[in-house]
Amino acid sequence: MNFKRKLKTGLFTVLMLCAGCLSIPETVLRPGAPEDLESCAALFPSGPWECVHKIEAVIQEGGMSFSLLGITKGDPADRKLHTVLLTPEGFILFEAEQIEDTILVLKAVAPFNSTAFSRGLMEDVSLLFLPPQEGPSKWGRSADGAILCQWESPDGSRREISLSTVWKISLRDRHGDLVKEALLKAPFVKGLASQTELRAYKPAPYRLKLTLLSGTP
Amino acid sequence: MGAVTVAGLVADKPVHSQDWASLKESFRNIQSVKAEFLQERHLQILKEPLVSEGRFFYLASGSLRWEYLSPLQSVMLQKGDSVRLYHFSEGAWKQDMAQGVEARRMVLAEMSQWLQGRFEESRIFSYSYSQGPPGRILLTPGEGINRFILSIEIVLSDRPGVIDRVEITEPGGSATRIAFRNVEINASFLSKLFDEP
Repeated sequence: MNFKRKLKTGLFTVLMLCAGCLSIPETVLRPGAPEDLESCAALFPSGPWECVHKIEAVIQEGGMSFSLLGITKGDPADRKLHTVLLTPEGFILFEAEQIEDTILVLKAVAPFNSTAFSRGLMEDVSLLFLPPQEGPSKWGRSADGAILCQWESPDGSRREISLSTVWKISLRDRHGDLVKEALLKAPFVKGLASQTELRAYKPAPYRLKLTLLSGTP
Repeated sequence: MGAVTVAGLVADKPVHSQDWASLKESFRNIQSVKAEFLQERHLQILKEPLVSEGRFFYLASGSLRWEYLSPLQSVMLQKGDSVRLYHFSEGAWKQDMAQGVEARRMVLAEMSQWLQGRFEESRIFSYSYSQGPPGRILLTPGEGINRFILSIEIVLSDRPGVIDRVEITEPGGSATRIAFRNVEINASFLSKLFDEP
C-alpha cells in the first residue's frame, strides 16, 4: 500500500516535471498579408524616442513590491538604449546604457547592483522597445485570425508578437517555454503603449505594470 | 511663487536681509509646518524636467510626513528615529522594500534639521550663510557624499525665516529644485498623519 502510494506520488511528480519541460506545439499559420508584418513592427517606436513610465513591480505575489519611475531613451537604428530607475523622490537607483548586446552600468544602488538584475532589466527594456533586427523567421495568421510574427535567435530562443484582441510580445527559450510575456494596451501615444504589463516566469517570476507618463519621439 | 514660512509668527514684514542670529531665532518659534511642494527633477537624459507634486507635515517635536501625490503616490513617515516608506499600488498602500532607504532616511533627517534651522548640526554637510537678498544657506557635503550631491542651496524668501526653494546639484549636470507653496505655520493636525500612510 505504502509502496503503491509512493509509486503514484513518484509518477505524478515525473509527469508534472515533464509537463514543465514540454515545448508548446508549433502554431500552424496561414500566409499573412504584407501589412500584417508591418503591424507587428508598428508595436515598437521607429525613430529615436524617450519616455517616462510609472512602474509598479511585484517580485513575490503578496510579498515584495515597489513603485518607481523609469526613464528610457532609445534609438532603434543604432540599437541603443539608456535606462534610469528612480525612487519617487528622484534618487537614481539604477542607470545603464546598452549598445547592441553590450551593457554599461553607470550607477546601481543595492539591491539593483547585481549583474543578473542589470541583464534582466535591459532584456525587459529591449523586449518592449527595440524591434527585432532581422526579418521574421515566420509570420502569418493563426486559425482564429490573430497575426503572429516570430523571430528566432541563433541560441534557439524566440520572440513572438501576437496581435488579436490583445497585443502581446513573448519571449520563449530554446525549449519553447515561456520566459517573459508583455501585454500592451492602447491607446498608443507617439508609438508607445499607454499601459504595459510584463510577466516574467523564468528564471525568477515577477510582474511589472508600466503606465506611460510622457513620451517624445 | 509660494514659500515655506518657517518663522511666520515672528515677523511678517518683508526684510531685505537678516543676520544669522535673528534667522536662528525665527526658526526656534516654529512648532509645526504644513505645505505643498512642486519638485522638478532635471536629468541629462531628459529634455524636460520630471515634475512631481506633494505635501508635507512637520512637527518640531520630531515628526515628518513627506508625501508625493503625483506622478507616483508615496509617503515617507518619520517619527523620532523611526522611518517608514510606503507606496500606493493596485488600490492599497504597501510598505517599501529596502531600495534606497538609507539615502531617503538621510534626506528626511536633514530636512527635519533644516526646518528647525539646525544647519550646523549636520554630520554630512558644512554650511555657509549669505545674507542676500535673497538669503541663502549653502550646504556642502563631505567626502563620500559628494559623489552623489555637490551642493544644496536653501534660498530664503524676503520674509524673515522663510524658505522659498531648495536646489540640489549633483555631479554630471543633474539637479533637483523644490519650491514650496500654500504654507500653514503652527497649525494643529492629527498625530496619526505620522503613523499611517
